[in-house]
Amino acid sequence: MARVITITSGKGGVGKTTTTANLGTALAMQGARVAVIDADIGLRNLDVVLGLENRIVYDLIDVVEGRARMRQALIKDKRLPELCLLPAAQTRDKEAIGPEDMVALTNQMRPEFDYVLIDCPAGIEGGFRNAIAGADEVLIVTTPEVSAVRDADRIVGLVEAAEKGPPRLIINRLNTRLVSRGEMLSMEEVVEILAIDPVGVVPDDESIVISTNRGEVAVFDQNSLAGRAFINIARRVAGEDVPLLGVTDQQGMLDRLFGLFGRKSR
Amino acid sequence: MFNNLFRGRRDRSAQVAKERLLTVLVHDRVKLTPELLEQLKDELSAVVARYVPDAEPAEIEVTLLRGESTDHIKADIPLRRAKADE
Repeated sequence: MARVITITSGKGGVGKTTTTANLGTALAMQGARVAVIDADIGLRNLDVVLGLENRIVYDLIDVVEGRARMRQALIKDKRLPELCLLPAAQTRDKEAIGPEDMVALTNQMRPEFDYVLIDCPAGIEGGFRNAIAGADEVLIVTTPEVSAVRDADRIVGLVEAAEKGPPRLIINRLNTRLVSRGEMLSMEEVVEILAIDPVGVVPDDESIVISTNRGEVAVFDQNSLAGRAFINIARRVAGEDVPLLGVTDQQGMLDRLFGLFGRKSR
Repeated sequence: MFNNLFRGRRDRSAQVAKERLLTVLVHDRVKLTPELLEQLKDELSAVVARYVPDAEPAEIEVTLLRGESTDHIKADIPLRRAKADE
């Protein structure tokens, strides 16, 4: 039976879709059967991030309204047969479905998968309520910026009010150079402010832009720091005990070392 | 260590961000609008004045603080010094 996990943030543009795509891919690379659902009705995006945009025939609303079977709508990733995408409808809006539809949809998927990840739309209105309705767990993505952290705090309150259990935190686009100069909130500070458990930190990494341009996810790239961070997050989500400070700590130490030799930081 | 020595006097922006966030979040969580906060001050000073005639109702200061495990509403109510002290 699948664990249904919603990835949300409140604020837009902090990396929910990138996180869903990478986490889903990383879990499938571990051998789990994974479905990722794009719950952003009307603003479909998970398909392009995964590079599956040319293969969509049916979407989530088609399944909800009975025009297609689940099996027909799910798109199998050719590179990774364990990974499936249920795309959002692009020509409808968020009011086309309700929370009870999402509960029914996720329940229908539970027996077929180990993980069902839901990419939540930005905001705290209907789309958010739909996306968390069927969830067992919630992951909140934030960046170390005041606006994103503030919105994440609102989401923490709403998730707790919806009795989904304590959400866990992913801090995205952490710039280790800025943190070591005291000009960006550190992981520890963000965790202290939001008072929820972190499940991972993803360094700010150009390779994400490049892999997304190509419709390839970063976890496929051995050299991508962000990709490696997402693989570690997947391992922690799967219950493995992976130390949290991995990537950022190493980089911070390197920076300090270079700093000693007088290298100017970028 | 060295970093601290050679840095200017201005607070690091991460520290500023943290303090600003902590204040904003307490207000967000308590859902106390500025109007409600004013009302709270007025009622609080009325109550205090009933017991302590020397209280300065106009000077009352109510702030929201974030603590380790709980948040606080802190009310600071100055008292006039009694004439005999002067």
